[in-house]
Amino acid sequence: MLENLLYGFTVAATFQNLSACFIGALLGTAIGVLPGIGPVATISLLLPLTFGMPPTTAIIMLAGIYYGAQYGGSTTSILMNLPGEVSSVITTLDGYQMAKNGQAGPALAVAAIGSFIAGCTATILVAALGPLLTAVALSFGPADYFSLMLLGLIVSAVLSEGNVVKSIGMMVAGVGLGLVGTDVQTGQQRFTFDIPELSDGIGFAPMAMGMFGIAEIIRNLEMPEVREALKTRISRLWLTRDEWKRVAAPIARGTTLGSIVGILPGGGAALSSMGAYTLERRISRNKHLFGKGAIEGVAAPESANNAAAQTSFIPLLTLGIPANAVMALMVGALIIQGIQPGPRMIEAQPDLFWGLIASMWLGNLMLVIINLPMIGMWVRLLKVPYDLMYPAILIFCAIGVYSLNNNSFDVYVTVVFGFLGYLFSKIGCPPAPMLIGFVLGPMMEEHLRRAMLLSRGNPMVFIERPISASLLALAVIAVVAMALPSIRKGKDEALAGG
Amino acid sequence: MSERIRLARRTVLTGLGAALAAPATLRAQSWPTGPIRLIVPFAPGGTTDVMARLVGDRLGPRLGQPVIAENRAGAGATVGSTIAAQAAPDGQTLVMSNIASHGIAPTLYRNIRYDAMRDFVHIALVTRNPSAMVCNPGFAARSLADVVRIAKEKPGSLDFATSGAGSSNHLLGLRFAMAAGITLNHVPYRGAGPAMTDTIAGVVPIMFDGLPSASGHIRAERVRLLATSGAERSPAFPDAPTFKESGFDVVSYQWFGISAPAGTPAAIVDRLNREIREILKDPEVVARFDQLGGGIVDMTPEQYSAFVAEEIAVWAPVVRASGATVE
Repeated sequence: MLENLLYGFTVAATFQNLSACFIGALLGTAIGVLPGIGPVATISLLLPLTFGMPPTTAIIMLAGIYYGAQYGGSTTSILMNLPGEVSSVITTLDGYQMAKNGQAGPALAVAAIGSFIAGCTATILVAALGPLLTAVALSFGPADYFSLMLLGLIVSAVLSEGNVVKSIGMMVAGVGLGLVGTDVQTGQQRFTFDIPELSDGIGFAPMAMGMFGIAEIIRNLEMPEVREALKTRISRLWLTRDEWKRVAAPIARGTTLGSIVGILPGGGAALSSMGAYTLERRISRNKHLFGKGAIEGVAAPESANNAAAQTSFIPLLTLGIPANAVMALMVGALIIQGIQPGPRMIEAQPDLFWGLIASMWLGNLMLVIINLPMIGMWVRLLKVPYDLMYPAILIFCAIGVYSLNNNSFDVYVTVVFGFLGYLFSKIGCPPAPMLIGFVLGPMMEEHLRRAMLLSRGNPMVFIERPISASLLALAVIAVVAMALPSIRKGKDEALAGG
Repeated sequence: MSERIRLARRTVLTGLGAALAAPATLRAQSWPTGPIRLIVPFAPGGTTDVMARLVGDRLGPRLGQPVIAENRAGAGATVGSTIAAQAAPDGQTLVMSNIASHGIAPTLYRNIRYDAMRDFVHIALVTRNPSAMVCNPGFAARSLADVVRIAKEKPGSLDFATSGAGSSNHLLGLRFAMAAGITLNHVPYRGAGPAMTDTIAGVVPIMFDGLPSASGHIRAERVRLLATSGAERSPAFPDAPTFKESGFDVVSYQWFGISAPAGTPAAIVDRLNREIREILKDPEVVARFDQLGGGIVDMTPEQYSAFVAEEIAVWAPVVRASGATVE
């Protein structure tokens, strides 16, 4: 493993990849720091930047963008009480209170330090578990993949925030959208309405940019501009000895919890930070301070969400299956690069796999470098009026989408999905399950039909194979658990109380 | 990186503007009037794209105007080819014609919007490579004869993987099955990568793949090479027989070349043919193509045109027999 990690560092430490990582983290922070824009929106908006790059550089940059966006979200949560996504909602609970108490500096510092420690630990986990899981994944047949994806879809619907029925509805709609295009088995065109541009399906980047990026911007334009934070003075961007003592255990617990949750399908940043916060609130010696500016309440969820951000790469890199919306974006980005993520990737593209892992560590280091000394700059960035910033972002997006295929059709697709995404957010339908359905749906269909083709039409193949059978059993358990009122109440409480 | 792309795009726009402004009756002497666009009907980064750019980058200096590769992927390379077919025949637009869009699509796609012969003038073949029939190392067959025997013992029991329905390798598999009088069950994938993964894992015993993309796996003995599809044995794998010498009348190459919209002046076509054939003699280009697995062939425009026509004729009955059609 050490040897491989060393190899990874030689890949990641080239000038090109180091700059990609740095620029990614920088841009990710810059966009992520915009109020209301979370990692998924940030990655979708910046996706086109990576089209012209070699695959390894592109994915390293995207990972940098991801960490940057995640951390940028924490900054606005702490300073302005404006979370970009669910995982940062947790950070606002105590982070914003700390800022109000004049402790914005330590809050930002603990978020950066906690994220760094968690990121480093989780990266080692990815390096250790990746190759092991790959060995298992190679024994997966089409039936097993189908069952695994079914389980992933069900679990992410069950765990997603908000109304479960709406989540499932969005997921099914996503699967439907994913099936537009040429049927892999027969070459027939499906739902293309004789539009040649649709014959290879709806473009992933235009769809994601519209649904997440553009829709978020429209939503943000609706809200009055908030300038409150700018009054907060930021002092002392480091921790005192006493604060170190208080946060050490929460960081460790957050890291552990986040690492585990990140691997689960449907897991990821949101669930892990909620879990970590709830856990700390129960067992901390300073329970009474929670909600009033407890530094533990920032340290634990920030560590957890960053740990989860790293470990959620594991199912992607080993099985080729995205665990959450961010990873679905990564799959899309890899496919645009001509790489099908899957068990063969470690062997076929070792530079990509190990380079990415090494750059995870470098990216985390860069976050600390970018964020702590430069926090003043980010605060100033918040002073740029939105009516200047957003049109610039929109133009940048349009150019990016166009450059994908040199085709204006993709720009129209982005616009349509931008309005659709806005509409969905108005009627309370979460867009993340749709993206997961969009990515997993066609893969599931492919594996389902391939399994049936190979079994000469015998559906028993899904039950006869032990891996497939156990995954299907888990899926059934997940559905049953969801239907039981007591468990559902528990989840809703965790999400609401979080 | 993005800076470079932005610059390139501006040049394309300027080039288009210049092309529009130029008089309709262009004389070959004044050509090229601006940057030449080379439509690559495949996604950027693939082998075809790399080869197209290798040739395009060297063509530019020889013509005194940059040649700008423009990727217009989609629908089995027909999206980019349609655009080229409809472009002005002034020598400012070229396209990478290839087996998918100009050999197979004419029969495969029912609603195709160009005629692969009448709407183009074919300038030069750039490269071609044979395909390989490989199998999982644990599979019982060591030769084509073994495959035929197994298929005849248990009819309909053998599966083969390819990069997709209607791909040249899918049709090659069918041609082999027809020539051998056996049935092979086709298992299509989304691209050669996942198909190879499943062949190595033993999910599917046999795969037909382009020799360049399979060669690494063959050398690493992750799959066993049963036959190659050229007229002669591949110099890279001299031990593997061809289909032809094993008694099956199947010779097939994956190929691409450079074509232009029909009506492009003959003087321009000849000049391009001369320059491209010169480029294909450049040792550096030869070495890169070798490394990418593409063989170089020297053809006049007439020869290349005849070659394309022949390919359409060879594949048409196979496409019809396969039952695959795309509306």
